[in-house]
Amino acid sequence: MKKRSILIPLILMLCWSLVAVTAGAAEKVYVYNWTEYIPEKVLAQFTEETGIEVVYSTYDSNETMYAKLKLIKKDGYDVAVPSAYYVSKMRREEMLLPLDKTLLPNIDSLDASMLDKNYDPANNYSIPYMWGSTGIGVNSDYVDPESVTSWQDLWDPRFKASLLLQDDMREVFHMALKRKGYSSNTKDPQEIKEAYLMLKELMPNVLLFNSDSPRVPYLSGEVDVGMIWNGEAWMARQENDAIRYIYPKEGVNLWVDSFVIPKAARNVDNAHSFINFMLRPEVAKMCVEEYGYATPVREALPLLDEKVRNSRIIFPEKEVIEKGEFQNDVGEALPIYQGYWEKLRSGM
Amino acid sequence: MKNWSKSQTAIVALVGSWLIIFGIIPIVLLVITSFLGQHPIDFFTPTFSFESYRELFNRAYVDVLLRSMKFAAVTTLLCLLLGYPFAWLTGRLPGKYRNLVLILLMVPFWTNSLIRTYAIRMVLGKKGFINLFLLHTGIIDAPIRLLYTDWAVVVGLFYLMLPFMILPLYANIEKLDYRLVEAARDLGANFFYCFKRVVLPLTLPGIYAGCIMVFVPTMGLFYVADLLGGARQLLIGNLIKQHFLNAHNWPLGSAESVVLILIMAVMLAFYGFIVQRLSGKGGGV
Amino acid sequence: MKYLKIVYFTGIFVYLYVPIAIVVANAFNIDRYGLSWEGFTVQWFGMMINNAGLMEATRHSLVIAVLAASAATFIGALAAIGFSRYRFPGKRVFQGTLMTLMMAPDIILAIAFLVLFVMIGISLGFWSLLLAHITFCLPFTMVTVQARLNGMDPYLLDAARDLGASGFQILAKIIFPLLKPALFSSWLLSFTLSLDDVIVSSFVTGPAYDVLPLKIFSLVKVGVNPEVNALATLMIVLSLVIVLISQLLIKEGENK
Repeated sequence: MKKRSILIPLILMLCWSLVAVTAGAAEKVYVYNWTEYIPEKVLAQFTEETGIEVVYSTYDSNETMYAKLKLIKKDGYDVAVPSAYYVSKMRREEMLLPLDKTLLPNIDSLDASMLDKNYDPANNYSIPYMWGSTGIGVNSDYVDPESVTSWQDLWDPRFKASLLLQDDMREVFHMALKRKGYSSNTKDPQEIKEAYLMLKELMPNVLLFNSDSPRVPYLSGEVDVGMIWNGEAWMARQENDAIRYIYPKEGVNLWVDSFVIPKAARNVDNAHSFINFMLRPEVAKMCVEEYGYATPVREALPLLDEKVRNSRIIFPEKEVIEKGEFQNDVGEALPIYQGYWEKLRSGM
Repeated sequence: MKNWSKSQTAIVALVGSWLIIFGIIPIVLLVITSFLGQHPIDFFTPTFSFESYRELFNRAYVDVLLRSMKFAAVTTLLCLLLGYPFAWLTGRLPGKYRNLVLILLMVPFWTNSLIRTYAIRMVLGKKGFINLFLLHTGIIDAPIRLLYTDWAVVVGLFYLMLPFMILPLYANIEKLDYRLVEAARDLGANFFYCFKRVVLPLTLPGIYAGCIMVFVPTMGLFYVADLLGGARQLLIGNLIKQHFLNAHNWPLGSAESVVLILIMAVMLAFYGFIVQRLSGKGGGV
Repeated sequence: MKYLKIVYFTGIFVYLYVPIAIVVANAFNIDRYGLSWEGFTVQWFGMMINNAGLMEATRHSLVIAVLAASAATFIGALAAIGFSRYRFPGKRVFQGTLMTLMMAPDIILAIAFLVLFVMIGISLGFWSLLLAHITFCLPFTMVTVQARLNGMDPYLLDAARDLGASGFQILAKIIFPLLKPALFSSWLLSFTLSLDDVIVSSFVTGPAYDVLPLKIFSLVKVGVNPEVNALATLMIVLSLVIVLISQLLIKEGENK
């Protein structure tokens, strides 16, 4: 009996102390980002310099991020990192706060050709963080890289139930649209439908959809061929250089992810400090070297490790970029894509 | 209600209001939402509409529902076939062994389901335990694909849900009056006859309880399918989540949920019916 | 025949425990991917503790689990008492609601709560999470306590009332003490359910309040991860402790 009557007050005390500790009143910034996109040491450095604690949450798709942001009307995230076409979508739906450029002096270190794009004219709402590509990944120990040089090769029946595809609607449609010779930013319902029909034939070849950490199935031997982000391929090669990254002939998918401040942000000044910090050349350098994606921070390039700077995977040649296509807004056509995507995923 | 003391009123008020606010109202809201109109950007338009239900009869959703039910049914069957002997044998064990067995059964049950799913992943992977073992003993010379298949999902679900089948079965079997079985034996019945005519009817309520406790939650455990099956084909839980969160199509997501609740309710009603009929027959519940 | 029984039981237990054993073994394995035994180490536990995000999520989960378990046990016990001893209008409806809450797949509860919180205007975070957790634990605590109540001697309460005890006194001095084992079982059950919950939490929690199952889910999705192995080992040990405690409580309860 005695044991039990002590238990309750003990539990209550435990609760209280836990709550008390959690309710610390330090300055904070709530960052909502893709998985594996900002190194821990960068966040630690930020906190050390500014005293602002970074509360970090992750998502693995634009849709998840968008859904969460839509739900939270107040006390929300301070910084998010959507892809370009979601920046324009969220801008149109008035989900973003305009940026205060006076608090972002480091914008000057950015490559001007990445600014003032049509998804966010004058960059009133977003600042590019990283850009990269989605191409073909191959484990050369099991699949000859020479035999997989175009998106079309993924449709080969010998790859039945073997492919890894990104769990990303636009990226998957890009493959089919490019095979057909259409723009991957098309709004034409007929073209989208043709892409869907083509993708339907690809489905038997798919083993799994994964956007959390696409390199892991390659490294663990579950998958030998499929789609992959260039950064993931770069990271995979650090552990197993049999993993290759291939730029498909029809054109690789290029994308840009940008910092935005959602409307429900509560620490707007801290958000600006954070974004400004991330634009520093030394910080950008750390991100590139850790994850293998390219940075729009022009001044970071000379700082990079030589192997990184010369890597084709991180910095493709001009021809590759011109052949490829940057992902952009598709406006009202988005629900058309969504409808077909759902059909594909439901096994239809 | 007139002669109620203060404490009685307080209790009913507290419990009642909690259940109303957090139990009844959410479900009612869900049903209402399923009858609202859809909207491309906002969550819904406040107009009455059947469009979500009409969309449901679209083949795609029916397929997804059937596929989910298929997984749930296979898992339930597997749990039943392997769990019934376990429950029976445990019920027949002498006291101290019985407790030991039950404790050993409970530890996985109390362990976090994600952890257990993760453990299955480590076992089934191409570089996982089973493949390593088979390669090492020379039974195969290249790793076989076990993960990201439909069977991986079933194995995972079975692994998680087995205790949910065993516990209700055991609760029922423990109350079984074994003398009935002995009497049948004494009268000359063989094993199969005993089982079919005596044991089975008596344990039927336990069987149904176990089946429901496995079937219903399994319909919703979509994250197991994601982790072990490769997220290749959507199950009803994924679909509801996708519609509700990603497509922020609340009416459609709600309609799908309502259908799921109805299916569940039908099964529960069926269970209640079976139990009643059996008690009526004097089936020793 | 006895041999067959032993084989069968062993088979089932091997199946249940081998995966867990592998995870636990690899928590101490120097080899990251657990492919071969490379040596004993506790470094992964150290790494896990240094993972600030993971630790914070753990803290949040424990706070919610403790508070939700306590509240659910309290309300559930009251509900059990109310249902078994009083008559009031709408009793059927409430029982049906509790049944629904217990049996409904998590996904449905999750979106029902989400709709409720958004409509009422409760911002997603600590409170929405807590309220949701208490609610889905409620049917389980009620059923557990009710089972114990039904086994109680009704004459005891009549005797007390004849001796002039008020309703409140009966509750406090007789019913609650006798229910103690059931209360603790309920508490443990709710605690486990709360810690285990992935689906409801992923819908109703907010940016400020990350919880452990969600963190584990994103780690597990990625693949084999030694920090997860370490965390898993700790959680398995925790389950073992909980089971032992609950068994001790049941024994004590029976001794009364």
